[in-house]
Amino acid sequence: MEWSIGKDEKRYITNMINVDGQLKMSLFTSDDEIITIPDISITNDSKPNRIVINVSGKSQLAHVVKVDDVWWIHLDGRIHMVKSHEINSSKTKQNEGSLLSPMPGTIIEILVKKGQRVRQGQTLMVMEAMKMEHKIQAPKAGKISSLIHEVGQRVDMGVILIEIKE
Amino acid sequence: MIPDWMKGSSNPFSTVLIANRGEIAVRIIQAVKEAGLKSIAIYSDSDNNSLHVEMADYSIHLPGETLLDTYLNIDAIISAAKSSGAEAIHPGYGFLSERADFAKSVSNADLVWIGPSPESIEIMGDKISARKKMIEYDVPIIPGEELIMDNEDFIEPLASAAARVGYPLLLKASAGGGGKGMRSVYEPKNLKSQYEAASREASAAFGNGTIYVERLLNKSRHIEIQILCDKYGNSIHLNERDCSLQRRHQKVIEEAPCPILSKELRHLMGESALKAAKSVDYVGAGTVEFLLSPNGDFFFLEMNTRLQVEHPITELITGIDIVQKQFEIAVGLELGLIQDDIGIIGHAIEARIYAENPSNGFLPATGILSKWIVPTSPGVRLDSGFREGDKITIDFDPMLAKLIVHSSSRNSAIRRLDSALSEFIALGVVTNIGFLRNIINHPLFIRGEITTDFLDNAPDELFLEKEFDPAQLIAIASGAQKLGINKNHRHKNSDDLLNDYNGHESDPFRTLSRNFP
Repeated sequence: MEWSIGKDEKRYITNMINVDGQLKMSLFTSDDEIITIPDISITNDSKPNRIVINVSGKSQLAHVVKVDDVWWIHLDGRIHMVKSHEINSSKTKQNEGSLLSPMPGTIIEILVKKGQRVRQGQTLMVMEAMKMEHKIQAPKAGKISSLIHEVGQRVDMGVILIEIKE
Repeated sequence: MIPDWMKGSSNPFSTVLIANRGEIAVRIIQAVKEAGLKSIAIYSDSDNNSLHVEMADYSIHLPGETLLDTYLNIDAIISAAKSSGAEAIHPGYGFLSERADFAKSVSNADLVWIGPSPESIEIMGDKISARKKMIEYDVPIIPGEELIMDNEDFIEPLASAAARVGYPLLLKASAGGGGKGMRSVYEPKNLKSQYEAASREASAAFGNGTIYVERLLNKSRHIEIQILCDKYGNSIHLNERDCSLQRRHQKVIEEAPCPILSKELRHLMGESALKAAKSVDYVGAGTVEFLLSPNGDFFFLEMNTRLQVEHPITELITGIDIVQKQFEIAVGLELGLIQDDIGIIGHAIEARIYAENPSNGFLPATGILSKWIVPTSPGVRLDSGFREGDKITIDFDPMLAKLIVHSSSRNSAIRRLDSALSEFIALGVVTNIGFLRNIINHPLFIRGEITTDFLDNAPDELFLEKEFDPAQLIAIASGAQKLGINKNHRHKNSDDLLNDYNGHESDPFRTLSRNFP
């Protein structure tokens, strides 16, 4: 299993081995580069969804919950998301030219036609969610090769909205 | 039997229907309970399981798919009140709270309306008539004009009005509020596109596309005065709230008192707010919003003829329960307070916790509140309509909670808020909690120098989560996985998310005193 943090694409690999009832970090690499293994161990806590992390002898509580393939972690006053991936799975799921829906919402306006040339930053589509409008802008210049949806359609987060070819 | 506090009132009631949902419905239901009255909740399909329904003494389902069928359905709400034996209606904020026709229908149905008269709502709800009143009553206003766009040929009148008002300017929906249908225009070339967006948003949210063009005052603060007026001409103000920290004209952090307002200016603004209220014979709790320019001039923005989202900070610094006061005014009691009774005790700050992604243009986030542990410590108040296991959808506003702190000084209130935010465990839905911590630790916030343009000019780092040692996070995720901490809650694109997981399987207290509608 590989891990990534937040929106960062960098992948990490670790191994946690059981030493006297504690899970101790015994391997930590990132994108094939070996990092000095930090002195970190993890133990279960009596409360559900809580674990204890010990870093160089100093213990702290962390709240954790897993949703889909993401571990949500509350540690030291901040919330983090750590995602698990299959080993060697491709980094970007989306192909460069497709624009994915950034949120669930309704398409209220489409400002371009198939075949039209667009410049970077041009507004292509307007979506509405929670009564607010959000503009979908072109990530790069190119030609609209496909328009998947129609005005009024409700879309989920992460679905392809528009494809742009160089 | 009527409660003691209601004795001697001209218009007593014992059952209140709350025509709202979410945190404000919860807040009002709690006040109803404390006042010794009975509460009735209304709910749509998607709120079937919501906290406000659970808390109310009785609840009524409003069938239908859209808001127009449910929380905006005047006839259905009035018949719900009639059939359930409600004697009064509290509208909360948003939805029908500033609809004169609703206030009128409530009174026509022989129910007590907990709010100002339909006439007050109507005048203040229309920016043109409100401005006329302000001029008449000597309350300062911002240069601007209204455009009635009844034909397709809007460019010319719009451009000439814009030229008269001057750039930069603000386009506002006449019937607007809450940042919807509002756009700033810095250059003439953006006028057309911004107008179209504002007018579209306005017609979607309010069913009215009329636009108001107003001069945009830079480096100013948003200062609002809370007022209370009874039916006998007694009126007081409860000091100001500084709501300058906004994104897209939506408030994010509010504080009371304003860190820079002098006693003299507070007095002047308070007097102006009371004049504004008097201009429409206002009765009830209301808020007069002003823009305060850097040189100390202030201008009337609008009057909100209802309870505000941020009312708790005023409650904390004055010790006055505003919702209870609304009940007292509605039953016809006298205010029982004079201006000299109103002081300022310490400092209060409210942070709005939104389900949204600050690092991605504040896009709304959805999901399930898989873990939701709210901070509890002295001087911390949390108003929320959610609990662990609740599903966050795009159907309603993305506000999850209001975290409100009170302390003896502004600096200690900031520290208290930071500490409470750091203890706020909200997992499963992306929130702005980290962003709020970034803001309140920013030097401009600490020095009390925030103006309404702060977030427009803020550096990118403010919107990003702070970097953290990756080894610790990876160790936790990998360790938790190995320990088999919890079963995998899968998100599906269907509506049976709650059946998968409700976060309460093992909590025996959840079903206690629960009213199943």
